[in-house]
Amino acid sequence: MAEQFLEIRNLNKSFGGLLASNDVSLTMHRREIVGLIGPNGAGKTTLLRLIMGILRPDSGAIHYKGKDICGRKTWDIVNMGIASTFQNMRPFRRLPIIANVMVSCLSPRAMTRGEWVKRVEAKAMDALEFAGISDMALEKASTLSQGDLKRLEIARAIATEPELLLLDEPFGGLSPAETDLMAKSIKRLHKGGRFGRLHSEGPAMIIVEHKLQQLMKIVDRIIVLNFGTLIADGAPDEVVKNPEVIEAYFGEGGI
Amino acid sequence: MGLIWFQIKRVFTLFRSEVLVLPSRVAVLIFVAALVLLPLFSQDPYLLRILILTSVFAIFAASWDLLSGFTGQMNFGHALFFGVAAYTSGLINVHFKIPHFFTIPIGALAAVLTGLIIGIPCLRLRHTYLALTTLAFPLILMGVVFAIPDVTGGELGVSGLDRLSGSRLRDYYITTILMLLLSFTMWKITDSKTGIILHAIREDELACRTAGINTTRYKLMAFCLSGFFAGIAGGLYAHIMRTVGPSTLEVSMSFQVIIWSIFGGVASIYGPIAGVFILFPLAEVLRVVPEWRMLIFALLVLLTLLFMPEGIIPWIRDKIEKQCPRCKIRSVAIRKTCRVCTADLD
Repeated sequence: MAEQFLEIRNLNKSFGGLLASNDVSLTMHRREIVGLIGPNGAGKTTLLRLIMGILRPDSGAIHYKGKDICGRKTWDIVNMGIASTFQNMRPFRRLPIIANVMVSCLSPRAMTRGEWVKRVEAKAMDALEFAGISDMALEKASTLSQGDLKRLEIARAIATEPELLLLDEPFGGLSPAETDLMAKSIKRLHKGGRFGRLHSEGPAMIIVEHKLQQLMKIVDRIIVLNFGTLIADGAPDEVVKNPEVIEAYFGEGGI
Repeated sequence: MGLIWFQIKRVFTLFRSEVLVLPSRVAVLIFVAALVLLPLFSQDPYLLRILILTSVFAIFAASWDLLSGFTGQMNFGHALFFGVAAYTSGLINVHFKIPHFFTIPIGALAAVLTGLIIGIPCLRLRHTYLALTTLAFPLILMGVVFAIPDVTGGELGVSGLDRLSGSRLRDYYITTILMLLLSFTMWKITDSKTGIILHAIREDELACRTAGINTTRYKLMAFCLSGFFAGIAGGLYAHIMRTVGPSTLEVSMSFQVIIWSIFGGVASIYGPIAGVFILFPLAEVLRVVPEWRMLIFALLVLLTLLFMPEGIIPWIRDKIEKQCPRCKIRSVAIRKTCRVCTADLD
């Protein structure tokens, strides 16, 4: 394949004296699920925010499907097919849950996908159905619990029908049973297909997560960041045996 | 014949099942009917004049709500749109003798342009900074007005505009019907899919961007729409008063619209309109006690906001209507069960 699906080259970003992203380079294929791990403050969320265009890199390039997306507006990037969730959930608190998802359905990308998605309420409902909170569709978003807010974030992200999905701690604050359910949903989404009016392109994913047990089950590859530097990149089994990773992330005791 | 009868029956059924079931809808209906039928009972010029100005300010307050209540772009200088439109209408009417049914739309377009011009630098500002910046714009324009008295008339303003129409009664109907039409338009805008996006921008702009919405475009659109409606109010005001002075740009004008809106209930369009229709005539009634007027007025507003922080209209609405916990559809408060899904209301 001549051009990579996602290619990040020598990305640098610093906040004052803090180097949040230090010469990070990575590539991704179209149908890959990549886990992104690292200690707190390692620059995982910063990397996602750089891809989304919420932050501007100091130097480096991000190529998505052969196009440079550095310096583009966030909504342009979303409309090119990248969607993300927030680590600290940011719903539109005073709007009903269905309206939260309808905002995504009203984005140009979602609206130009054929005649049959024009009824945005129905499509938003299907996204909620997929995420598993359709029974609360008319409640205000401020009444939701943490776990349901995570699902709302996912519903909002997939409603734009992305080809690259960036999930920031999708299992954070979920119980073990809910985590399993969420992992299953993510796999189902990755397989692609149609869920009611909602179409899944079978997106490639970058998942930031600390719950490694669950993460290992769904990812094809793990990338480890430490102090903004990429210290390991490879299959899950290899990465967890890497001495550098053990020192930086797992501590003395290992897994 | 049968077809006509069928249609009449259909409309009547719709009316009974959609309008008469909710006290708030009945109240709106009574309000509209009262406004339209009032001249049948009284043609007192003083009363009509008050109601004409009330209608104009109702448009103005609703346009503030569109920008600040819905989109969350807190505008403390809304008089700018009003003043720009009033001055534009006044100047072109006096100097070029253009009739008022052209000057008012031209004034509104000037206000749209102003919205675009101040909207662009305000895009990056939020909350307090936006409020303070917008507060400055009408003051700057007032300085400009005083700086070139040859064109703008300085402190005296522009006078000798055309009348809106020959008679007070016709003025009343023009402003009232325009007020009803424009309010309905604004309410429709906020009730549509665009309205959801405006709400979302107010709640969380960054989240709205990551949902793929071009927030810049929608914010500018909110500025322009709000400017357009406020501009029509300004043009009407100029032609009713037949003079345009710097008072249209004053800080008190900007703040009055905020007081009206917050009193009536923001982010609802009908709230600010009701606020104007309560507070503006009240301020006139209180003229009988000139020494105590502002004090009583301020106390009333403060007490209302203390006990009804969401504004008076949402408060009343919550008293007379209940929302079904299951289907979120409102029913009369005296009902025990929801009128649609028959769930218990308590």
